[in-house]
Amino acid sequence: MSFTLRSVKVPPNSVNLEEARSRMFEFFRLACRSIPSIIDIYNLDEVVTKSQLRTTIAAQIRKNSQVTNPKVSFHFLFVFIFLIVIILQVIDMLLFKGMEELNNILEHAKQRHHMIGQYVTGQHGLVQDLDSKDQGMSDFLKNFYNTNYF
Amino acid sequence: MGLGLLASRAIRPFNSGSRFLLRTIVSKPELQSPESSAAAADASPEPDLPPRTPVGGARVHFTNPEDAIEVFVDGYPVKIPKGMTVLQACEVAGVDIPRFCYHSRLSIAGNCRMCLVEVEKSPKPVASCAMPALPGMKIKTDTPVAKKAREGVMEFLLMNHPLDCPICDQGGECDLQDQSMAFGSDRGRFTEMKRSVVDKNLGPLVKTVMTRCIQCTRCVRFASEVAGVQDLGILGRGSGEEIGTYVEKLMTSELSGNVIDICPVGALTSKPFAFKARNWELKGTETIDVTDAVGSNIRIDSRGPEVMRILPRLNEDINEEWISDKTRFCYDGLKRQRLNDPMIRGADGRFKVVSWRDALAIVAEVAHQVKPEEIVGIAGKLSDAESMMALKDFLNRMGSNNVWCEGTGTQPNADLRSGYIMNTSISGLEKADVFLLVGTQPRVEAAMVNARINKTVRANNAKVGYIGLETDFNYDCQHLGTGPNTLKEIAEGRHPFFSAISNAKNPVIIVGAGVFEREDKDAIFSVVETIAKKGNVVRPDWNGLNVLLHNAAQAAALDLGLVPESSNSIESAKFVYLMGADDVNLDKLPDDAFIVYQGHHGDRGVYRANVILPASAFSEKEGTYENTEGCAQQTLPAVPTVGDARDDWKTIRALSEVAGVRLPYDTLGGIRSRMRTVAPNLLQVDEREPATFGHSLKPEVAQKLNPAPFKSAVENFYMTDAITRASKIMAQCSASLLKK
Amino acid sequence: MKKKKKNYKEEKQRRERERERERDGVDSGEERIEGDQRERSGYLLARAQRRRLLLTHCNYVFIMFFRRCLPDGNLLQTKLHNIGAKLVGVDKFGNKYYEKLGNTQYGRHRWVEYAEKSRYNASQVPAEWHGWLHFITDHTGDEASPILKYYLISCLLMLKPKRYGIEHKENLSGEGDEYIYHSKGHTLNPGQRDWSRYQPWQPTKAE
Repeated sequence: MSFTLRSVKVPPNSVNLEEARSRMFEFFRLACRSIPSIIDIYNLDEVVTKSQLRTTIAAQIRKNSQVTNPKVSFHFLFVFIFLIVIILQVIDMLLFKGMEELNNILEHAKQRHHMIGQYVTGQHGLVQDLDSKDQGMSDFLKNFYNTNYF
Repeated sequence: MGLGLLASRAIRPFNSGSRFLLRTIVSKPELQSPESSAAAADASPEPDLPPRTPVGGARVHFTNPEDAIEVFVDGYPVKIPKGMTVLQACEVAGVDIPRFCYHSRLSIAGNCRMCLVEVEKSPKPVASCAMPALPGMKIKTDTPVAKKAREGVMEFLLMNHPLDCPICDQGGECDLQDQSMAFGSDRGRFTEMKRSVVDKNLGPLVKTVMTRCIQCTRCVRFASEVAGVQDLGILGRGSGEEIGTYVEKLMTSELSGNVIDICPVGALTSKPFAFKARNWELKGTETIDVTDAVGSNIRIDSRGPEVMRILPRLNEDINEEWISDKTRFCYDGLKRQRLNDPMIRGADGRFKVVSWRDALAIVAEVAHQVKPEEIVGIAGKLSDAESMMALKDFLNRMGSNNVWCEGTGTQPNADLRSGYIMNTSISGLEKADVFLLVGTQPRVEAAMVNARINKTVRANNAKVGYIGLETDFNYDCQHLGTGPNTLKEIAEGRHPFFSAISNAKNPVIIVGAGVFEREDKDAIFSVVETIAKKGNVVRPDWNGLNVLLHNAAQAAALDLGLVPESSNSIESAKFVYLMGADDVNLDKLPDDAFIVYQGHHGDRGVYRANVILPASAFSEKEGTYENTEGCAQQTLPAVPTVGDARDDWKTIRALSEVAGVRLPYDTLGGIRSRMRTVAPNLLQVDEREPATFGHSLKPEVAQKLNPAPFKSAVENFYMTDAITRASKIMAQCSASLLKK
Repeated sequence: MKKKKKNYKEEKQRRERERERERDGVDSGEERIEGDQRERSGYLLARAQRRRLLLTHCNYVFIMFFRRCLPDGNLLQTKLHNIGAKLVGVDKFGNKYYEKLGNTQYGRHRWVEYAEKSRYNASQVPAEWHGWLHFITDHTGDEASPILKYYLISCLLMLKPKRYGIEHKENLSGEGDEYIYHSKGHTLNPGQRDWSRYQPWQPTKAE
């Protein structure tokens, strides 16, 4: 299946937001469909369930939900006297990066602990009981609960 | 040298045909006819020499300017005091002479011959380590004669030295390896069998591979001169010469680990470190030892998260370049029995791992349920000053002032700093000529202080008197008595040792910190002060009245004023905060008391604890420690903390916030500026801060002396704290070396 | 894939059972052969017993021939090859080693009939027989046995070190995850190494 993914060519840039949106959903479905084989490849069945992984993927996509309007954003870069205009299609770029990541995962280019670190325990470690108690807590205490090194 | 080489080439007739037939004596062609090339070199005009700096920053101190003499080292004029050896003169001139047997802190043996130099008008090369420099001496260290001599000596040394560098633990830090690279021949001519020597069993610390020994006798001299034990010696002659204990016995010295450092080859290596790591893999962190109150300067060598070994660091004022065996080999205790998660004791009496959040919440809740005067905090013997400051501040904010450091007794005298530090300073002990040891056995309480006393006894023929239980010293010592009655006799001038004190130029009295635990400690101190007054021990230019502390935390704790409000607070305590305190007596504690143990080892303290908060050990944190002479020093983290442990002060700071009495500091800098307001001397790092006021300010005491003899304060030299008690090596040591 | 794994396990168990059953069968068969000789030497046996033995023998032959040899050409070929060949030895796993000198193509004159009839492979030949089977040496695996070692000093197999030479084990690749070698850091290694460099305090010990 990884090889079929590899053969998928990078599509031309999305014309408008609608197209980018539908592509994103397509990508989400593709990722969700590959969850069973991901669990199989990395022996994740004892640490995570399919729905949890689905939530993680959705969360990764939602993290960039603020990227809506700038279908095309212009980055002007002045290099000496030349004016180079780089046109970056932000959603397409993110989509491409997601596709690349998925590809890497399916090709077994990662190891089990990469998967666990990135998608199972997440960035904040296993302890994630941040709730209303933490309101009004000093930065020191927040850091203290995370690590000894701050 | 370049000129000499050219000259020798020009002078020597080229005879390429016979060159291959003749077997050359030395490898380097210019050394084949050293005399002629030397003559050629001398003939050449003196080149403009660049200035040189002394080796290792060596400086010359002239006590008497008339004693200065001038010698020439490689053409450089050097002014040195009379009595210096040629080797020392060369060091001042910036020339490092290769040596094996010479060691600046040991007597001169002159038997390795590696330090041969050429001296003008001397028929043969001379051994520079044993030769006194004479005025106008012209020393040449870089001539072909000297080089040939070194190469020859090196060849002889390597003759019987095994070629096992790849499996030798000294590999990479071996003097013989380095010097054979620098001064040896590039080929060997030895085809016969090498000799082999039976290995000796020196105990659980020192591994011997005696075949590698080059008979420099450094270890023999160290054992008899510094360690003060006559265990090692030389047997046999010639190729039968061996280093060993004369009869099969272990090396029973608390400084035996230092022979590993002074051995220039791999004959004596560390047994626990054997085949564990190579020295180039290790990361060195310069830090402070906390196993006793001396605060020896050490270097922790670590690989990744693991402490691999501990080595001494040079500090002339504290430990010179030695450390005790406990300091050197306690490191495996840092890897065993570690507390790595916060734990709470459940209803069934078993510990359950919980999150920091829950642990702190429970501790804070219980702390608020009890009355403020029922809260007690005890700092352990390994605590750093920062965390003790935080503990005191936290308890004060909770409304309690019952905070103290274990080992200081229930009513410590923290008012006068001179009453608990070593006023003479450790290096100052060398000036003394009479010692009176009161209830202290420096050999087990502070091995490095004992080494100083031993050095003084050997150098000045100082007299030592001891009051306390029978014990063995490694220097001549007069056992005066066992209890305070003897002390009283001296104070009243009835004892013959009183005349020794009063006639001495620089008398020293050392009182052990074990006296702090006695009920009549004030009376004992007042008797000691009477002796000091009558014997003129405390003068403006000399303060000989000392207290020898036992624990790394004690001096800082007393400086910070960790003094309990009431002496029997533990009997009514309901909430006890043990910050690494393992040796505190909790028998009188009520059964319903809630105990929080914050520490790094599952030692005695955890068995009654209700909550365990893991902390970092001294090798893992930055902290200030004050040693027994009042010198504040800082540790640096060498390895990361284990598991979910936190630094002591951070835990207390976090707990204070959870408990609603937030401490105002968030950083180590903040806590130090708080310390500045309490004990500014703790921020004068690496500087000894002498006590300002003397004993004369002390009020009269009306306590009666208890004639009970002084107890020995340290039962087992090798196991005194949580780290050393967890160490397997220390357990082996106490099993094999303390056997009576 | 998980299903496959499960299949593996089932397959494995089934095979185990089969193997056990077979081993019993083979053993009784061999006994039978030896029994024949014993009979010939006038060993007393009741007729009923004989009939039962004959029946088991027939059963064995039946199983061997129809259920094993016919579907498996290799086994059939080996069995046919065995006719007139000399049984040189049987190793401790029950593999039989045959040799036929003359009337065989050179290089094909030594062969093995595996004890395992359904799933055999070359790794089932232990090291001491490997040399003989592959014409490396003429010493058979039995000559490495302790009885003979005093007579055959030059024997290759006696060089097998006693101290650390481990028991021969066949290659179990493809037999399921538990038979695949996983390095000590691997998740699936049952004795996965603990890489922590310190030993934590155990609260249960304290109680």
